[in-house]
Amino acid sequence: MGDLTQQLVEQIQHAHATKTALNIQAGNTKASLGRHTSGQVIDVSQHTGVLSYNPTELVITARAGTKIEYLNDLLAQTQQRLPFEPPAFAGEATIGGTVAANQSGPSRPWFGSVKDSLLGLGLINGYGQAMQFGGQVMKNVAGFDVTRLQCGAMGGLGLITQVSIKLLPAFKLTQTLTFEMTAQAALDTMQHWSNLSLPITGMCHFQNKGQSLLYVRLQGGISGVEDAQVFLGGESLLPAKADAFWQALNQGTLMQRQDHQTLWCWGGPSDAPFNSVPNTCMINWAGAQRWVLEDTSNTRSQGLEKSLCQYQGGNRLGEVNGTVSVPQKALQQRIKHAFDPHSILNAGRVYSWM
Amino acid sequence: MQALQSSLSDHALPISSAPIRTSTATAKNVALLIHELQQLLPASSVILSTESQRPFECDGLAVYQQLPLITVIPETVDHVQAILRLCHLYQVPLVPRGAGTGLCAGAMPHAEGVLLVMTKLNKILHINANAATATVQPGVRNLALTEAVQDLGLYYAPDPSSQIACTIGGNVAENSGGVHCLKYGLTVNNVLQVKLITIEGQLITLGGEGLDEPGMDLLSLFIGSEGLLGVVVEVKVKLLPRAPRVQVLMAAYDSVTKAGDAVAALIGQGIIPAGLEMMDHLAISAAEDFVKVGYPTEAQALLICELDGTDAEVEEQLAVVSECFKEHGATSIRIAKNATEAQALWQGRKAAFPAVGRISPDYYCMDGTIPRGKVGYVLTRIQELALNYGLRVANVFHAGDGNLHPLILFDASIDGQLEQAELLGGDILTLCVDVGGTITGEHGVGLEKMPQMPYQFADAELAQFRRLKEAFDSECLLNPGKGIPTLKYCQEYRSLQHG
Repeated sequence: MGDLTQQLVEQIQHAHATKTALNIQAGNTKASLGRHTSGQVIDVSQHTGVLSYNPTELVITARAGTKIEYLNDLLAQTQQRLPFEPPAFAGEATIGGTVAANQSGPSRPWFGSVKDSLLGLGLINGYGQAMQFGGQVMKNVAGFDVTRLQCGAMGGLGLITQVSIKLLPAFKLTQTLTFEMTAQAALDTMQHWSNLSLPITGMCHFQNKGQSLLYVRLQGGISGVEDAQVFLGGESLLPAKADAFWQALNQGTLMQRQDHQTLWCWGGPSDAPFNSVPNTCMINWAGAQRWVLEDTSNTRSQGLEKSLCQYQGGNRLGEVNGTVSVPQKALQQRIKHAFDPHSILNAGRVYSWM
Repeated sequence: MQALQSSLSDHALPISSAPIRTSTATAKNVALLIHELQQLLPASSVILSTESQRPFECDGLAVYQQLPLITVIPETVDHVQAILRLCHLYQVPLVPRGAGTGLCAGAMPHAEGVLLVMTKLNKILHINANAATATVQPGVRNLALTEAVQDLGLYYAPDPSSQIACTIGGNVAENSGGVHCLKYGLTVNNVLQVKLITIEGQLITLGGEGLDEPGMDLLSLFIGSEGLLGVVVEVKVKLLPRAPRVQVLMAAYDSVTKAGDAVAALIGQGIIPAGLEMMDHLAISAAEDFVKVGYPTEAQALLICELDGTDAEVEEQLAVVSECFKEHGATSIRIAKNATEAQALWQGRKAAFPAVGRISPDYYCMDGTIPRGKVGYVLTRIQELALNYGLRVANVFHAGDGNLHPLILFDASIDGQLEQAELLGGDILTLCVDVGGTITGEHGVGLEKMPQMPYQFADAELAQFRRLKEAFDSECLLNPGKGIPTLKYCQEYRSLQHG
């Protein structure tokens, strides 16, 4: 545990002066995401520790290198949780990397993504200036929202030094139900149930080993979950098995990608028909996220649709995210320049031109 | 607020020294701009006369007034695009405005600029009941959207007090909240996509059809940017299913500290009510005199708590909440027996601002946010500060998320009281920052809170804001002089602090 802010500031100031490309790294669990880039590693893994946590405020502030697993364990002691259910990636994922890569779990449609819980952060920009944005309070509209801007920026706008996150009470009861049905039937069912004010925190359809199952996770107060279980019916899954399923889903290990394969992730309207995303093998987020596993040789790399991202595998030196409009591309480049004029911080991780 | 408006010419506010960019547009450019706008838009959409522009000279914070050079009311997105292009071409500042209900002078016009009134773009373009989303033009009123989807069992969650009049475009510009954002979030948590026009007249779409987009979160950056980065022309929002049951209860306390502690304890016990509001003694009395709903006027603090969910969930929570309120010294607890009684309990809270308006010629509404645990301390300190200035403060606020709305009571016809109210307001905001909070929870910075920006942010942070602004609007034509103080302003502020 320690505060390495000053050291990190000096490293970035030096890199700014010498125009040296840096590659921000802590748990190194996001290396397979985004584009592959080169750069001198700037290590945030030892910049750890919880700076403040008062359960009655429902807020925690931690240094960026603090591990998700550590935070989950700490919060469980006071019956609280991180609302966006980030993947822990075998215990190595850190809170800073989670924010930068915008990683949220199966409960995303109901409890929001990282940005919905992020209240403030510390950031070192490409000039090597340490700054604070947002804060620890629930509502804060002073100045531009530089805090949430970082979600998904993959460190390209600055090195995140610490984050403040809004928490939620832990669930009192969790129950997973399964229903045998086709993918299209599952999409219709998920749509219907989403609009019924039920304590649903996960809906995923997965075709595996000849089975085509809709998984529904209920979480909340005891009576709410029990009532919903009676209402929905289905097969109840044993807690250990259910937990393993949602963990694997969250960590991206449910589908075993082979070296010659590419895992694609589609994001779009939850009511898009099943056949609008060819070769879908898994549907998550009640239909808003769909996964396609294909041989890399079935290349889609020419002119990626905006809604499709090359999540893992395949050529990671070309573009892995969908195209953006010309004015938006220029705008993003100007924003990058506003934070990092020499483009030394994680340049090219999201797009080759950023 | 009438008295407040009419008193303006006599009272210069400290903020009036805030720098407003002087337009570089020449008289010739302005004449060309007006000519082209008259060619482009229907005659009724281009307003030049002082008389007709008078209704637009301020927003909900009427102490700041300024007539624009010209007011335009576009009817289509193409109009908006063309207007922005022309302003950019002729280097004329532009201030966007929705319904003008904002409370930070963010929509106060620019003396040498165009005021762009977006209220005619007021169509609901598409409602997708399956996906529970709606796509609307920016001039659609917040409440009109909820009314349009209520037959589908859906609603739009952010519900600022001005929801009857305020527009979705304005909500996006200010990142508006409301009484239910404790559980359901602010505008930023409920908007999926925004289409905006840049100052160069380019259309950019932020956010996508799905939930998350790759790359930096530009949508979140844009929400709450107070018209400094672009003009919203279309918004896609998330709709929520109505909860099967809503239960309202009220608890009275003999001290604000006890009520504040009850709020912190309740949240700490894992209960997130749909709404949790607090009123202090002065606000309770004023509201009860006005609407007569049976508030206990002897109470020093009142909590109004709304729970929602299924019957079983609400019953479960109601037991915990009642017990928690009792444990923390509630002198009485009233559980609404039906929807009519629930509405009555809310009515007093919702009418609190006009109610306070009845007991004072003028009032000034503040908007700081503090950590929940500091509510008792901050309310006590506010009363001490008020006493020093010889003014009264009524407090009505979103206790659940620590968002204070101290109402400073004053009489603008008494020489110097407006300035005193301003100074007290400034002290309250810096107090919020001192306890780990912020100068604005939901009203925005606008012109009003510029003096406190250098208090909350360091120079490097303010410089970063300015570079970000320049990335969108390099010539600083969009809503200049608002939101982010200039370098010169910050230097003057620091030299005063050190002098």
